[in-house]
Amino acid sequence: MLDALDKDLLKAVAGLEKIPKGAYNIRKNGKLLGRQTSANINIETNEEGTGIVITIAPNTKNESVHIPVILSKAGLHDVVYNSFIVGENADVTIIAGCGIHCGGDEKEGHEGIHKFIIHPNARMTYIEKHYAFGSGKGKRTLNPTTQVVLKENAHAEMILEQIGGVDIAKRINEANLDDGASLLIKENVLTESNQIAESHNDIRLNGRDSSANLVARSVLKGDSKQDFIAVIEAHNKCYGHIECDAIIMDNATSDTIPSLKARHPEAELTHEASIGKIADDQLMKLMSLGLTYDEAVNRIIQGFLKAT
Amino acid sequence: MLQIINLSFAVDNQEGTESKTILDKFNYSFERGKYYCITGPNGSGKTTLAKTIMGINTLSSGQIIFDGVDVTQHSITDRANAGIAYSFQNPARFKGLSFRQLLSIAAQTEDESTLLQIIARVGICSLDFLDKQVDSKLSGGEIKKIELATTIARNPKLAIYDEPDTGIDLWTIGPMINLLKKEQKDHQTTTIVVSHNKNFLEAADVILILKDGQFVYEGGIDGAMPMLTDLKSCEASDFCEGENDVRCFR
Repeated sequence: MLDALDKDLLKAVAGLEKIPKGAYNIRKNGKLLGRQTSANINIETNEEGTGIVITIAPNTKNESVHIPVILSKAGLHDVVYNSFIVGENADVTIIAGCGIHCGGDEKEGHEGIHKFIIHPNARMTYIEKHYAFGSGKGKRTLNPTTQVVLKENAHAEMILEQIGGVDIAKRINEANLDDGASLLIKENVLTESNQIAESHNDIRLNGRDSSANLVARSVLKGDSKQDFIAVIEAHNKCYGHIECDAIIMDNATSDTIPSLKARHPEAELTHEASIGKIADDQLMKLMSLGLTYDEAVNRIIQGFLKAT
Repeated sequence: MLQIINLSFAVDNQEGTESKTILDKFNYSFERGKYYCITGPNGSGKTTLAKTIMGINTLSSGQIIFDGVDVTQHSITDRANAGIAYSFQNPARFKGLSFRQLLSIAAQTEDESTLLQIIARVGICSLDFLDKQVDSKLSGGEIKKIELATTIARNPKLAIYDEPDTGIDLWTIGPMINLLKKEQKDHQTTTIVVSHNKNFLEAADVILILKDGQFVYEGGIDGAMPMLTDLKSCEASDFCEGENDVRCFR
């Protein structure tokens, strides 16, 4: 069912060595490769046949769903519309991600539009990793969109990673938060050679005492380019923070635009942003512990991307 | 074990026209297993000398011989692997590196029991330090303890500590000095401490007073104190026009 290439891709994007236990939906080259539901987690194809609907029953605790997508077919551009409904008081982990193996010169790509409704008092951890490899020269494109609605006192933690090999990525994250809801987005992106990555984040704090924390780390090498645009718009007594740091190397370019919009007198919004090369004192310290210059650079980048 | 021969170090002035000489044809031989304390007024070249030994500063001319090998052209990495360790005055902070990871790099092992042994050997870091992030949230004292631990974890032949007591609470200075003396005794570690702290001076086998890029004193605490008292007349010459300027009230 899974060939060696599939296993490599699944391991990179979902940490899977084999078919997981519990609920899962694995999509390969635009088609369903395997699906498993559980007593509390239902997965079904949507009415339009363009994606899946994952419904997590209220009060479901400590369960996970894996929904990786793998592409290894030249010329394929896969588009899916997935919906996630997390029931009241549930506490679940959703592991998504897309792995592309490009062996030819034709472009390959995936667009995943993920809509989430997190019902009151529910908690969701969402992990999405993107990875591409292969000797082909075809452009590998990944354009993920997440749209999140957090109901009263719901909490979501979203870990979004693009760890290498993706030529063009345009990410859109949108979130709307009701009273007491909280959202933590951790985004890590590494680009190199001529890769381009854009990340647009639009978070609306509608509810009283809602909060959002957006932490982004970027590493740019070669001639790559990244744009990071983050907007938090506050419509109530709430708290929002944007933290975006970039390490820039070689001839890479970065635009970082954090934006805070207060539409309520009790809104509390902050941001911190930095773009810079690796600090000399960090390199000196690691070299004084015996690492070579290159080893020190790699160690600092690895840590930086995991620091969120 | 460490010979410094005709070492000169100069930096460009801000205007870029003339260079300022910090160390001028400096010569000294450090002996194996001794504890040296280098002191002197601000701006005298103490940190410059220490960093030049580690290879962090590139010397303008001269030679550095370590264990019989000319390391003048060696990188920081090569010097570290030859047995020189350096404890920074202002240690680097990292986003995404824990003390455990830093200690693992220093000790070249991730083995838990080995890391715990190092912490026990260092003594002044509690075990719960291990998973602390070495970032801006650490206090000045905490990061200095971590810095010291990573230096000792290298098992160096030559350990250089640049102002190790900065940010350290008073009741930790005694144990810190005992630790350096124990390392010196147990491992024959040649120890160079750059410090203004009398406790570190008193513990030294040899006190070296650096002034205007030269050692002006070599000996014990008794001979050093009158000179140091004299030098105290102005410790802010970096910021004002110096001790002889009538407008200086320090």
